[in-house]
Amino acid sequence: MTRQSPKVGIYGFTGCAGDQLMILNCEDQLVDLFGATEIRSFVMAMSDNHEGELDVAFIEGSISTEEQLKRIKEIRERSKVLIAIGTCACHGGPQAMKLGEGRFEEMYKKVYGNAKISVSKAFEAQPVDAFVKVDMYIPGCPIDKGEFLGAVSKLVAGKSPYLYKFPVCTECRWKENPCILYQGKFCGGPLTRAGCGAVCPSHNLPCVGCWGPTDDLNVSSEYELLKEKGYKPEDIIQKIKKFGGAAVAKLVKDLESKKEANK
Amino acid sequence: MKELNVEALARVEGDGGITVTLDGKKVKNVTLDVHEGPRLIEQLVRGLTPADDLNVIPRICAICTLSHRYSAIRGLEKALGIVPPEKAQLTRELMMLGENVESNSLHTFLLALPDFLGYPSAVAMLNDYGDDVKRALRLKKFGNHVMAVTSGRIVHGENPILGGFGRYPSRKELEEIKLKAHELVPDAVRDVELFASLDYPKYSEADMVFMSVNAPKKQYGFAGESILISNGKEVNVEDYRKLTNERVVSHSFAKRSLYQDKTFTVGANARLVNMGKRLDGQAADLFKQHFDERWLKNPLMNNLAQAIEMLWSLEHIPDMVDTVASLDNPPIEKPTRQNGSGTGAVEAPRGTLYHHYDIKDGLIDAADIITPTAQNLDDIEKHMKLTAERMLAEDKDDEEVRLGLEMVARAYDPCISCATHLVTLKRV
Repeated sequence: MTRQSPKVGIYGFTGCAGDQLMILNCEDQLVDLFGATEIRSFVMAMSDNHEGELDVAFIEGSISTEEQLKRIKEIRERSKVLIAIGTCACHGGPQAMKLGEGRFEEMYKKVYGNAKISVSKAFEAQPVDAFVKVDMYIPGCPIDKGEFLGAVSKLVAGKSPYLYKFPVCTECRWKENPCILYQGKFCGGPLTRAGCGAVCPSHNLPCVGCWGPTDDLNVSSEYELLKEKGYKPEDIIQKIKKFGGAAVAKLVKDLESKKEANK
Repeated sequence: MKELNVEALARVEGDGGITVTLDGKKVKNVTLDVHEGPRLIEQLVRGLTPADDLNVIPRICAICTLSHRYSAIRGLEKALGIVPPEKAQLTRELMMLGENVESNSLHTFLLALPDFLGYPSAVAMLNDYGDDVKRALRLKKFGNHVMAVTSGRIVHGENPILGGFGRYPSRKELEEIKLKAHELVPDAVRDVELFASLDYPKYSEADMVFMSVNAPKKQYGFAGESILISNGKEVNVEDYRKLTNERVVSHSFAKRSLYQDKTFTVGANARLVNMGKRLDGQAADLFKQHFDERWLKNPLMNNLAQAIEMLWSLEHIPDMVDTVASLDNPPIEKPTRQNGSGTGAVEAPRGTLYHHYDIKDGLIDAADIITPTAQNLDDIEKHMKLTAERMLAEDKDDEEVRLGLEMVARAYDPCISCATHLVTLKRV
């Protein structure tokens, strides 16, 4: 093997640190992971971090302060490939669920009152690609170990990773789960990207949509399926917007306008 | 005026730093700076259904995901008049034991220990302390496994819901947990011995006040209806505001907490000071052997406290498994009212976590979440200031002072993204 191990940086922005934690949760592969790559920066796990040119930057979390905005741009400049990991980095996450509703200032005041606070300016959280180019998305809340490690090993071998594009329903069928929708439960599965192994339906619970919207080509028929089940478009949006933020609102808008055009 | 900075505090959950402001040799101020962005979670959940709230609030923090979920469940069930079945209660306790093993092993070994042994990370320790690191990873993996079996997955499992569980763990899954827990007890004992053998610097020592949830039936545990204070007082969790007194300070978005104008400590050390006599098994023996007056003054002792507590959690898993397995799966209990208020309090691995909810017409009208790190912030700064003053008085160089301060901050196992009110703090 003459291939040099790729220089990797793992960075956290606004979120719960769950995706970085999932990397640390790869207990059986952690030692190999640190061996196969040259981890230059991973502040959550080590204190001797070196910031410089990177082959791959993994970004967790959404962007929500001026300081973070400066930092994500700086990381982008010195990284060949930038990968958004986790639903917050990919779609904004729960903190972006009201994105575009213009209520940030009001909510912010309710938490902090009129106290004068001398810190970097904060704004409503947005996904990473609202500010810099993202080369690859590995969503999940948190990311799945298997999908993450699979992507890393492909990248180490210089190949493109294969990432799931179909909805949770497909994984449910693989598991031969009885359909939650037929039990009268409002399941987000048809519109949510797979990768979790249909974990909620496998526990008799409706999918909460935490991986964000699927980019499956068949998504419009999945949306129609939910409407046929009697769910209103606004409830469907509310259901999956908890994690998908702007991406979900846009998805539903596209679906509605596509339908208009087909009339 | 000189500043000593730790720009990015490594090996903690979340994005923070430390700033020490010096005037000559005099320490003017020490702050734990937080660069974490605001999320306004309490505002975002207003108008959601209680079930939707339970999907969102665990995302406050990945490491204490189940503590957030359990604290919210306790508050919401009270508000909605739900009495959970016994099996649900005990399965929740089992999941908390799993989270305790997972989080305490992660913090003690991967985040805190490298400082004591002079390494930048646990991975860097592999050559010299490979067995210890691998032992910690085994424990952490097991804790994660218990969390997955009970909650559905290792992080942000959705299986614990209001009134019960989506699916109760199977007898086979429970039996596997029991066997593995027995097998790992010697590992946890060795961890206690290792942490008991460390040298805990005295620079941060000062009188401390400890608070923790009072587990019922005079047993050790992680949830209850009142708060114990080390001054002998006991307060109902519904009166939590009297204890936490959240206030906004001008230099940070982090809301702060004082009790009777004094800083106080929450965490494993607080639990053991308040409830250590209730421990049983080998954990009790080791606690008796190692508990001394240092615990009442030195925040660094939280590392040893976490190791002892992890052993207790592990020793308790087999009994808990037997009880859970002996009970039939009950149906999910439904709300009996659509309006009400309730406060949940649990012991997250890093300290007391409150979730208070007001429900109006079946929807969240108001939410108040007070995290352990928010309660500890003033206390962390107090002990860091003492450390800086005493180390500088001994002419320690900047590097040593930095490490000394980082060790104090890390000892509290801070969870910076957990503190929902934290935002960038920049000093001029």
